[in-house]
Amino acid sequence: MTSSRMTLLVGVVVEEDVGLSLSELARASGADESQLVEWVLEGVLDPSGGAPADWRFGGASLRRAHLARRLSEDLEINPPGVALALDLIDEIDSLRSHLRRRGAG
Amino acid sequence: MQFQDYYQTLGVARDATQDDIKRAYRKLARKFHPDVSKEADAEVRFKALGEAYAVLKDPEKRAAYDQMGSEWKTGQDFRPPPGWDAGFEFSGSGFETAGSGEYSDFFEALFGRAGAGRGTHAKGRDRHAKVVIDLADAYRGAQRSIVMQVPQRNAQGRVQLHERTLDVAIPRGVRAGQHLRLAGQGEPGAGGGAAGDLYLEIDFAEHPLFRADGADVFLDLPLAPWEAALGAAVDVPTPTGTVRLTIPPGSEAGKRLRLKGRGIPAATVGDLYAVLTIVLPPAARESERQAYQAFARAFDFDPRARLKG
Repeated sequence: MTSSRMTLLVGVVVEEDVGLSLSELARASGADESQLVEWVLEGVLDPSGGAPADWRFGGASLRRAHLARRLSEDLEINPPGVALALDLIDEIDSLRSHLRRRGAG
Repeated sequence: MQFQDYYQTLGVARDATQDDIKRAYRKLARKFHPDVSKEADAEVRFKALGEAYAVLKDPEKRAAYDQMGSEWKTGQDFRPPPGWDAGFEFSGSGFETAGSGEYSDFFEALFGRAGAGRGTHAKGRDRHAKVVIDLADAYRGAQRSIVMQVPQRNAQGRVQLHERTLDVAIPRGVRAGQHLRLAGQGEPGAGGGAAGDLYLEIDFAEHPLFRADGADVFLDLPLAPWEAALGAAVDVPTPTGTVRLTIPPGSEAGKRLRLKGRGIPAATVGDLYAVLTIVLPPAARESERQAYQAFARAFDFDPRARLKG
């Protein structure tokens, strides 16, 4: 195996510095634009802006779209199923967050 | 390379129907999907399931695989017999879900590498990786080396894995679950297309004292009963050094004391919370037992008052 090394790379934090357009989110999540539109209609993703061309996806959208793509591909789940799974994952996340905040007690 | 028993991976018999295989895969895939599973080896198990299913769900690939015979066991040293795939033609690449390097050597020796030969002019695909940092790195910023295995075509046109080490600056204030985008560090483009981007998902290594939730950081702070009752000033470790914290008299277990601005220095700076716990000293020696007895005599206290009707 060959190998190489690069100089120090500096990135941007997607959640704070970037609002992704529909096509950027499609590339970053590996989902089709049409899938993303379906997920927006199901309420899985909540972009700002009116028409799809003006949509800006911020914050947690990348993780959600990535999750949605993996769940729909790997488990062959349809959009309402993806929406339900993500709602339940959100609920688990908030319970975990609650536990972390409470401590061992 | 090591033989993979795909029937064993899916837990089905060699004469299982396509429906049996699909059912077994779906059930196990839900159990081991890394996004929903809490099993420690979910990622590895899920990859193995995906590979087994990619072969067994496809009648052509399954027939070719079956030709290998049933004597092989997972992990046995294996070399495909010459001309083993004569008479089989695999339609398309067919691995729509696979990124490069997701399947085992065994799979690639038999069925080739997924995803080769894309369009003539296309931007390279984005890649994703996870990077685990210490909580302290989020306070200070840090530098991390990430080793990525990237498939590359050599002069003979064969695909080989190339190891690429990236030195990445982790910005101060980053939180678990956030993504760092490194432009142009994804897969190379085809036919002069630009390279894709690399997304690094940030995760924190478990810390024995601190746990983060968003930009806030939490710490369990044990107190002796008299410290909680009478108040005290105690030393509290924080990711940026020890601070002295005043415990007000009458503090109860579970109460949170906030150290404003001592959480992760994100755009909105987080707070550090000391979650109070009360630890009872054991009554081991005679003098200690006497102290507890004096304690009991001094109070008119019924901890179970609420249980009485």
